[in-house]
Amino acid sequence: MASSGPARAVDTQLSGFATLPWRKIILGILGATISFVVVVGAFKTLTLPQAERYSGDFWVDQVVNGLGQGAILALIALGYTLVYGILRMINFAHGEVFMAGSFISFFFADAYLESGFLNNQPYTALLILFVVSIAASTLVAVLLERIAYRPLRNAPRLVPLITAIGASLFLQNAFRGFFGAQPRGYPLPDILRGSIELFGIKVSKVQLLVFITAIVAMLVLQAFVNRSRTGRSMRAVAEDSEIASLMGIDVDRIVVITFVVGGILAGIAGVLFALTFEQVQFTMGFKPGIAAFTAAVLGGIGSIGGAALGGFVLGLLQAMGPPLLLTGFGIPSPFSLKDAFVFLILILVLVFRPGGLLGSGEAEKV
Amino acid sequence: MSPALLEVDGVTKRFGGLSALNDLSFSVGDGEIVSIIGPNGAGKSTVFNVITGLYPPDEGDVRLRGQSIVGLSPNRITKAGIARTFQNVHLFPNMSVLENAMVGQHSRSKAGVFGSIARTPRVRREEAVIRQRAEECLGFFGKRLAGYRQDQPAFALSYANRRRLEMARALATDPVMMLLDEPTAGMNPKETLELRDHIVRMRDELSLTVLVIEHDMRVVKGVSDRVVACDYGRKIAEGTYEEVANDEQVIEAYLGKRHEELG
Amino acid sequence: MRAEVRIGAIAGVVTIFLAAVGLIGDFTNLNLIGEQVTFAGLMLVLPPLLAGYVATTPRIEAGQVIEATRARAAMVGAVTGASAGVVFAAFVVFVDVFGVERVRAIFLNISPVLMDFLLRGRPVLVAAAILVAISTISGTAGASYRVLPDAARRPLGTAVWVTLLFGFLQRIIPIALDQLDVERDWLYSKVTRGLTWPGAIIVAALAAGASVLKQHRGAAMRRAVSIRPSSDGGGPRLTPVNALLLLVGLAVVFVAPHVVGSVISEVLGTIMVFALLGIGLNIVVGYAGLLDLGYVFFFTLGAYSLALLTGATLNTFVGSSAPVIALDLNFYVAIPVVVAIAAFAGVLIGAPVLRLRGDYLALVTLGLGEMIVVLVTSPWLTPLVGGPQGMRDITNAAIGNFGFRDPKHFYYLAFAFVALALFVSWRLANSRIGRAWTALREDEQVADAMGVSTTSYKLLAFAMGGAIGSVGGALFAVKIGSLTPASFTVLVSIQVLGIVILGGIGSLPGVITGSLVLVGLPGLLREFEEYRLLAYGAALVAVMLLRPQGLVPNVRRSRELHEEDREQDKWAGDIAADEHVAPGISPLGEGAG
Repeated sequence: MASSGPARAVDTQLSGFATLPWRKIILGILGATISFVVVVGAFKTLTLPQAERYSGDFWVDQVVNGLGQGAILALIALGYTLVYGILRMINFAHGEVFMAGSFISFFFADAYLESGFLNNQPYTALLILFVVSIAASTLVAVLLERIAYRPLRNAPRLVPLITAIGASLFLQNAFRGFFGAQPRGYPLPDILRGSIELFGIKVSKVQLLVFITAIVAMLVLQAFVNRSRTGRSMRAVAEDSEIASLMGIDVDRIVVITFVVGGILAGIAGVLFALTFEQVQFTMGFKPGIAAFTAAVLGGIGSIGGAALGGFVLGLLQAMGPPLLLTGFGIPSPFSLKDAFVFLILILVLVFRPGGLLGSGEAEKV
Repeated sequence: MSPALLEVDGVTKRFGGLSALNDLSFSVGDGEIVSIIGPNGAGKSTVFNVITGLYPPDEGDVRLRGQSIVGLSPNRITKAGIARTFQNVHLFPNMSVLENAMVGQHSRSKAGVFGSIARTPRVRREEAVIRQRAEECLGFFGKRLAGYRQDQPAFALSYANRRRLEMARALATDPVMMLLDEPTAGMNPKETLELRDHIVRMRDELSLTVLVIEHDMRVVKGVSDRVVACDYGRKIAEGTYEEVANDEQVIEAYLGKRHEELG
Repeated sequence: MRAEVRIGAIAGVVTIFLAAVGLIGDFTNLNLIGEQVTFAGLMLVLPPLLAGYVATTPRIEAGQVIEATRARAAMVGAVTGASAGVVFAAFVVFVDVFGVERVRAIFLNISPVLMDFLLRGRPVLVAAAILVAISTISGTAGASYRVLPDAARRPLGTAVWVTLLFGFLQRIIPIALDQLDVERDWLYSKVTRGLTWPGAIIVAALAAGASVLKQHRGAAMRRAVSIRPSSDGGGPRLTPVNALLLLVGLAVVFVAPHVVGSVISEVLGTIMVFALLGIGLNIVVGYAGLLDLGYVFFFTLGAYSLALLTGATLNTFVGSSAPVIALDLNFYVAIPVVVAIAAFAGVLIGAPVLRLRGDYLALVTLGLGEMIVVLVTSPWLTPLVGGPQGMRDITNAAIGNFGFRDPKHFYYLAFAFVALALFVSWRLANSRIGRAWTALREDEQVADAMGVSTTSYKLLAFAMGGAIGSVGGALFAVKIGSLTPASFTVLVSIQVLGIVILGGIGSLPGVITGSLVLVGLPGLLREFEEYRLLAYGAALVAVMLLRPQGLVPNVRRSRELHEEDREQDKWAGDIAADEHVAPGISPLGEGAG
């Protein structure tokens, strides 16, 4: 041990360079740039010459669209947030759970259109579509849990995430193998065509259905989690699964129920999404999936209210952000950058406020 | 008069509403062995975490040779000369015993990307020095961590050897000051005695200053130049072992605790 | 018996799945051996065979391994196979009764061809009975294989898989033989395109022979080629036998494109590009332990920046036009610039996001990968990178007049870069830097407390990985000669991740193996193109469930991935529970425990 030498000099001298809080500086510059873009972009867009400026109606439409899509995102986001709350894992394949419901219900909708049932008995038909979609989504969610996730419950954190990515790819391509790659037109019952005037705002009937269904589903979920015995068990497992299991709660069962609930919500979202965009395809789960995850993080992942709020906020941002911020800079067709916009929001939230809107700002150790 | 090696000055650390540390001050001089004692939950490990930069203190200052080290990242503080071990042993379990110790030398070596790729003579020499230092540090514990054991993954070691390896790894950072967090926890009486000697040897042979959190009063008595007693994040007594052991407040802190436990 | 029936039923459902995605119906004419062994047939037999094998897994009772007796195994296998057969036969009967065309209106791949293959013109119940019988035999065979003595089992297994592999490689081996002017009709039939029966028997015999040889002389052989670490810590030293093997290997690598022809050379080139990407991502994921799902970012950045630096033009509907930024550098001047750009971008992006926890980081990088794809497609950047039409006239990296666009030539260019990247990666892994990465990966906070600046080393990994990935992109651009955004999707990221994971996280031989398997096989078996991604997904899941360390594991990494088996320091943790630590911010709670 001779080489350690006695009384080594203490090296606390720091060069000025190293003491600078680099991360804060970079974040500061980033934040300033973004604020600048937001303010200037919005100002420029809103003060464009009359001929090029968006009309007031355009913005009203964007708000309505944004809320409609936000409702769907919120439903999917709840699936992410529930699973995350219980297992602390990102169920990357949740977008495919949603796709499965949507796709399977298509075959029923298509058959009902041909037989006339869809327009003769639209309420019954829609109800059946929801039931079918929910069943398909739930089945996929439960199979996922059983086959892909349960054996990895105690594995290092990234292992189930990789599995989830694999499962997502597998499910997409299995559906492609079953049903083909081309997009299919989802039929809309006649009663949902057209729009109605609501408080002087034109709202399409589909959007109204989306909105109402989503709100009802969320209220039911809230009541289930807060009031029912099972909901209480879920909250207990989310708090500490080890202690919960010592208290006699069957953790496996709660996990399955969580996936079932996520599946139900995704199934509802599946039909609503298909009715809104009138199209289904095997790749349809990916982007809404990511957007919904973003919504969950935006609201504060693990929190039910947060996921709902995040969904609506993201829906609005998605609908209004690109035209508001980008048009002013003369960037053509701002909506083509919508997806990039979502990812940008995801990154910014995680960097600046990883706990989300409703989180503490620090939430988990990040 | 030159400042003490380490000064903890009025440090307060709160977690939520709880104060883990409350206006805590003490100092450690060159070549001293100072023990921190206190009942469970007294905030002892939090002191270590604040000193080594894992938590920023809410109030107060920590100075090494008169210079504040608050706000530095843990790796900078290690480079400045403070090494530590952890209460529940934290090794790199899948690295070999030797590699664990070699990581300790990280901040004392320089090889960069291009040097490492080209493996220049300078980098080779440096690597040889790292290895030699790591072996010396493992050698501090005699035959315990020598020979074939050096190539075993760390997780394969016995519990006591893991504690020793953690200390060897800390020694390999070439510190001026060593923070030991309950080094004898979970050890049997023979191992505890051996460890007591190691702590004394760290000061006598390696000229290190040692700050140790310890529960075992025989160890505290055997090694300490001074003892700091804490309860609820406050310093309740400071002095020689005998002074602290006979302090009313200290006795009450321990006995009171016991009364509560007995219900 | 219930367990057997369950496993069998699962196998039956798997067979139905294979039929429904088209893996049976599309391949009734893909002959592997003679006209009898087709790929479709294999798909039919494989699930019950595996089920029989799985159903006879030795049980552990009271600490003792209990293997089934032969008779019992055969019985278990038969039951398992039969249940699989019944499930599948029920499906066939259902489709036949319900009408193929009606099922096909939904399930596109349940086609008349499939039904003809399954029924062979026989009445449906007879055909169903035959299917059950085939399945039962397969199940029994799978179970019997398990209880064969080792001396017979290994050669048999080897013979079967090697022969089937030869059957699959019917597009490659005959071409190679033709190029070498070797008579090949005895091995591969020109009519069925697959192996002939005599050829198959010879291949099987050779494979079995090799297996027997390995069993008897294996230890000596391994000793001869094993790599011993040298005493000075300077890495492995070559033994004479190794040197010889290395020379032979290099010779094969060097003549390969001239033996296998242009088509396969092209595939080899793609393998090289992906190997390069794999090596880069391996630094990020394997060494530093950061899951990056947006690796396509660097691939795209490399490809487009090379194109812009070397004077490529934009594709437009009326021809080509110059981009708004056009430089005209030589390829070999441009590459260092590309690498610098990518490394800089890596640092710039990494700085804000690298402090995020693992799974968040994964999602953020995924987002970054998607963003760059959206950006290169967007009308906004069309004047720079051509938008959806992309760019063309990319340099062929010529040295003098020798261009590298031709697949046979490109191979050498790519090979040089792969070799360089392997060298860089290997040297880094075995250095002070590699040690810091390992420490960081194993326990970030402790690494920090031991003097490793975690942020710098994460950034370094990100930048190194990005630099290598950008070279992959640049080479891809040279290989293709033109760029369209369609080549740059999130699937690239996932594909490269698949290579790293299947091969073995943190293992360089693994990366090479991974790219051979995941890029090479689909590239060579063009018939399976449609099923490539399905197989990727299944492989990712299967590897994580069954063999998380990958095919060619890195020893230390594989220990980490099995950490749940060892409750490290559980008891130490019990002894010491001293601190008030607020929920969620316990810095030392997560890592090793």
